[in-house]
Amino acid sequence: MTSPHVTIGSSDEMQTHWRQLASQYGSPLLVFDAKVLRRNYQELVEALPGVQLFYAVKAHPHAFIVRVIEQLGGGFDVASGGETDLLLQLKVFGRRTIHTHPIKKDAEIRTALRYGVTTFVVDSLYELEKLIPYRGRVGVLLRLSFRNLGAAVDLSRKFGCSLTEAPEIIARARELDVHIKGVSFHVGSQCADASKHVEGIETCCELMQRMNEHGGTPMNVMDIGGGFPADYNRQGVDIHKFCAPIRAALEQLPDDWDILAEPGRYLVASAVTSITTVVGKSIRDNVRWYYLDDGVYGSYSGQIYDHACYPLQVLRTGESFPSVLAGPTCDSIDVIAEGIELPELEVDDLVIGHEMGAYTAATRTRFNSLPDARLVDLGTGEIDG
Amino acid sequence: MRHFEETLYDAVCQQFRIDKLYFENKTDHQHLMIFHNAQLGRVMTLDGVVQTTEADEFVYHEMMTHVPMIAHGNAKRVLIIGGGDGGILREVLRHPVNHATQVEIDSAVIDMAKEHLPNHSAGAYDDERCHIIIDDGMNFVRESTDKFDIVIVDSTDPIGPGEVLFTDDFYGQAKTCLNDGGVIVTQNGVPFFQPDELQTTHRRLGNHFADANFYCAPIPTYYGGFMSFGWATDNSELRRTSVDTIRERFDALNIKCRYYNPPIHSASFALPQYMLDMLDGDT
Ligand SMILES: Cc1ncc(COP(=O)(O)O)c(C=O)c1O
Repeated sequence: MTSPHVTIGSSDEMQTHWRQLASQYGSPLLVFDAKVLRRNYQELVEALPGVQLFYAVKAHPHAFIVRVIEQLGGGFDVASGGETDLLLQLKVFGRRTIHTHPIKKDAEIRTALRYGVTTFVVDSLYELEKLIPYRGRVGVLLRLSFRNLGAAVDLSRKFGCSLTEAPEIIARARELDVHIKGVSFHVGSQCADASKHVEGIETCCELMQRMNEHGGTPMNVMDIGGGFPADYNRQGVDIHKFCAPIRAALEQLPDDWDILAEPGRYLVASAVTSITTVVGKSIRDNVRWYYLDDGVYGSYSGQIYDHACYPLQVLRTGESFPSVLAGPTCDSIDVIAEGIELPELEVDDLVIGHEMGAYTAATRTRFNSLPDARLVDLGTGEIDG
Repeated sequence: MRHFEETLYDAVCQQFRIDKLYFENKTDHQHLMIFHNAQLGRVMTLDGVVQTTEADEFVYHEMMTHVPMIAHGNAKRVLIIGGGDGGILREVLRHPVNHATQVEIDSAVIDMAKEHLPNHSAGAYDDERCHIIIDDGMNFVRESTDKFDIVIVDSTDPIGPGEVLFTDDFYGQAKTCLNDGGVIVTQNGVPFFQPDELQTTHRRLGNHFADANFYCAPIPTYYGGFMSFGWATDNSELRRTSVDTIRERFDALNIKCRYYNPPIHSASFALPQYMLDMLDGDT
């Protein structure tokens, strides 16, 4: 387990803020700050001028977040009928949504079409053929694979065709009269830098131009996926700087192409903060164990599934001891952090988790039948759960 | 300013300005809206697809109703599947029928249409010849022992809540509700953009009826040119009823229409070559 960034102590103002939230809404709690989401969105828009943003709903499928993205004029990237349903319930118009899961059931395609999605992603001949009945309606993106060992999550092992397979799939699509309007890729989530994005853009551009030379329906859409990082180690993420090589690569593309991106993590990670409470403590082998009311089966599930390590904060200061923060379930894997130095905490102390908006609540389980952390919208006071 | 953008096709779409929103459902797993548009009057949309507008509904409802009714010549009992807005019922009741049964899956649709699209039904729901049954259309045709001269299937699109009304099984069961020589007509989409729908329906109706065919009319807000209507009956002569006979029957009705007239009736069975080619390609 990598060690999280830990902040010891906090300003009086923030202490009061978190204590008030915990006493008003209970613990464990997730606190959503729409202002932060808006700022992240605006920064990404400025870092990627001319790129249409489709929020990857999977990162945090919640009405509070969807509403803000909709107000900002953003689009949505869905990967399942459940995500489509959320947008339908919120009356988000289907034309702002793309479906990006390369593998889907026929029923899934129909649900998406019915809702109003017409952009679908395929990465094999098998998936292409599933769209034959709907070819009069859809525009398809062909997903390519770019392996990325530098990302926290490599998304190109399971999905994406190789550059050498692509021409065959495109040719077959033309025979079948299924319109492939462009390509997509996802170079992996939580990327260290944008070099893989650049490689993806350049390679796809070359492929699209080569295919366009053969005539037929031109391809003119490039979807550069997600991968924009959250600031888990608190060194500061300068998204404008991160995207500079991407901007430079996009400059080289023909002006009349449409460029899309599917950011999830970057938009929502810092917009949600977790509040948990110490419910018990013990000292074993000179190590202080603190048992919290949320853990890796709950909001901290991303530490298992998403390989994330969230920055933590305790409110007390004082002499530090080797400590472990553990979650509430009976399983011993349910440990949030160990090998960290913390001041002596007491029962009822709060532990704050930062950058906890992406792939956190989205992947939690019901293990031990513990209640989910509730989500509160800081701006409106609306509470869910 | 809000706009409604239709979501049927990826590469093209029609867009309507929402001048005033009268109704938007908040809860179900579908998105229904009724709004005003300066050009089209009241517009009803469901999940990103235009269902009906006050400006052009007459084309659809007149053609869906008067073509089978007048071709039949003596229809007394009519079954309407769907058609919650009441437009078909309104046209049916202009004929000297004894009885019209309308099967609608959700009573809320009728209530909502009466309130927000009152000109569609124009009081038809108060006519004592009409019988409203709240049931699934498939279920009704499977279980009912009633017989009708005409069955009119006023459904939504095949991808959507009306999916079952496009199945082979439904057409077979609907036939058992028809008197000898009766006719079933169906809403069958815009073949220019939806060729598969034309081909599939042709095949499926052909499994059950001696004459499975189509007639068409252009509905301006069903983007894509001619809309096709499925036509199926065991009396193959009905489709060829002479224009003089049609005129006689129409004159006897003494009603005024805005799209339908006897020459249009006859001509609507003439299919454009692209549709004939689609049907040929389907053998
Ligand atoms: C297809 C697709 N698009 C977008 C995303 C969002 O990526 P990120 O959170 O790295 O921005 C993912 C993440 O799994 C994905 O699989």
